[in-house]
Amino acid sequence: MGATEVAAKTEDRAGPGPVNRVDKRAELMLGALSTLVLVLIAAMIVFVIAKGWPSFTHNGLAWFGPGGNVDQQLADIFNSPATPSNYVYTFHAWPLIYATFLTTFFAVVIGIVVAVLTAIFIVEFAPGGMRRIMEPVVRLLAAVPSVIYGLIGLLVIVPFVNDHLLSEGTKRSVEYVVQLDGTSIGVGILILTVMITPIMIAIVVDALRTVPVGWTEGAAALGVNRFRVLWTIGVRASRPAIVAAAVLATARALGEAIMLSMVTGSVGFSPNPLDGLLYFAEPARPLGATIVAQSTGLSVPPLEQTVFAMAAVLLVSSAFLSFGGAAIRRSIRRGQVAPALAGVD
Amino acid sequence: MMRKRLPRVVLAAGVAGALVAVAISPGAGAAPAAPKVTPKRGGLVIGKASKHKPTISMSGSTSVAPLAALLAQKYVRVCNHCVTFRLLQGGSDVGVADVAHGRVTIGNSSRDPKPTDPSGLVFNPIAHDAICVITNTSNPVPNLDQNGVQQIFSGGVHQWNQVPGAQRGNDAIAVFVRTPASGTQDAFQKIFMNPFNVSGQAKQLASNGLIQQSVKSNKDGVGYVSEYFAKGTHAVPYKGVACTLRNAKSGQYGGIRTFYMVTRGKPKGAAQRWIHWIRNNKQAKQIIATQWVPLK
Repeated sequence: MGATEVAAKTEDRAGPGPVNRVDKRAELMLGALSTLVLVLIAAMIVFVIAKGWPSFTHNGLAWFGPGGNVDQQLADIFNSPATPSNYVYTFHAWPLIYATFLTTFFAVVIGIVVAVLTAIFIVEFAPGGMRRIMEPVVRLLAAVPSVIYGLIGLLVIVPFVNDHLLSEGTKRSVEYVVQLDGTSIGVGILILTVMITPIMIAIVVDALRTVPVGWTEGAAALGVNRFRVLWTIGVRASRPAIVAAAVLATARALGEAIMLSMVTGSVGFSPNPLDGLLYFAEPARPLGATIVAQSTGLSVPPLEQTVFAMAAVLLVSSAFLSFGGAAIRRSIRRGQVAPALAGVD
Repeated sequence: MMRKRLPRVVLAAGVAGALVAVAISPGAGAAPAAPKVTPKRGGLVIGKASKHKPTISMSGSTSVAPLAALLAQKYVRVCNHCVTFRLLQGGSDVGVADVAHGRVTIGNSSRDPKPTDPSGLVFNPIAHDAICVITNTSNPVPNLDQNGVQQIFSGGVHQWNQVPGAQRGNDAIAVFVRTPASGTQDAFQKIFMNPFNVSGQAKQLASNGLIQQSVKSNKDGVGYVSEYFAKGTHAVPYKGVACTLRNAKSGQYGGIRTFYMVTRGKPKGAAQRWIHWIRNNKQAKQIIATQWVPLK
């Protein structure tokens, strides 16, 4: 201990020696790099919004509202006349926004419950051997590309739902409104939950591990059982990390495109909650999946602008999401005395 | 000492920023006004690549892709490896956009020219192709006339018992169509549907293969594909004529559209020789005749 202190002092006395200059240079380079990242992100947001702007100005706030058949509107935009003054822009994106919200909301809510409970199990209850298998597997699942989930959904789950869960009577009962064939928001939510839960588990496990041992041992010494210790102290102290996990998962769910375009039915329909359980068997197409489907028609300028407008909505909502998440984390942290957890997220 | 070094770092950041700006700008300049050739990479490579040989890159229609691949394999052998081919897909509209922006030599299109297409494109017809309406093999619909097709795809009828000869009782019909940018969709709309529109309830899929797969796995499914993709499904006879290659060649089958290879301006050099070979060579016509209809 003493020796290192002395060494540090001699360096300080040496003034602007070679070490210091390297430090300064590294600081400047890293600063330039991170500024560059910020500039890139800002440029991207500005670029996407500017590209999509004509679509917003032509529709006004009705862009976000319901009205007409959204697929027919997209086809009309694609088949616009050649002269720019006659471009068709009419577009009401409500079914797509609604589908994005639905799939994201249900997947994140189910996922967060499953993730917290699984993380508690892994950290506190799982026997050593099981933990050694579970943790790497969870981390591996978090990295599986979404198109693989999409393929499994399309080739296994969708036909299963169509053949075994949907009767012909059910399909006929709604045939004038919507076509049921297994592709549905239910399948989309199911697979999306499976996709985003592993990330949340991994983050919550890490957070639970960093809870100071003294706190949990103190509670255990008072005779509190293990689950209660984890629930009242571990999970409570990890709330910022849980919020961070939810934000990350929501961002992934919001932008998920390929998998959802394969299993949710690729039709711009708004599922009707009044249909009861059938609600989850109805198809829809979120914004991300719509961008994928329409990107084959980007050579038509008004369609390109409409697609960029959808991208802008996704981009801005995920930006707000991460600002909101940061604000929530800050307010939680202010309310608790947990300097040890500052680095959790 | 530090003061002197500082501007250099700022300069470095500035240069980095400029580089990024340059890197972004090709994406920003998607307007046809700046025809900068940035060749697309990836895709199926046919023939041995070499710096001394010209490369013909193609992208676009999923309907044209199998034909283009077969022709390219033959051409590479016949002309003694005089060119290398690079074949990508994406849909007719992607092909047209790619060739207009100079990203490929040839854009494959299975749709006719549109008024919104960038000017200066030449659509070179290479073959004809039949579009089949397909159903699941458990539902061999014996015949559909134009009105029948329009009723099914526009949402006029919803149950199979409203379709004469269908075997699915009163099951609800599951309609699969292509996205608006598809050449097959464009041709189907013109040949079969006009003046009706495809129903808004129909599931929109992105390729011939996906329609084929969906109709194969859904007993109540109905869709339309290029004749090449009708395998494993039931191709429904149209106006009493079976959707077969033979009937398409004889001109009896009504649902015929044209395949194009689109170039920017008149085809030149290697691309000109290749398109000329497809359109005039006997061997090329034989290959086309295996699955498609040669030009008259």
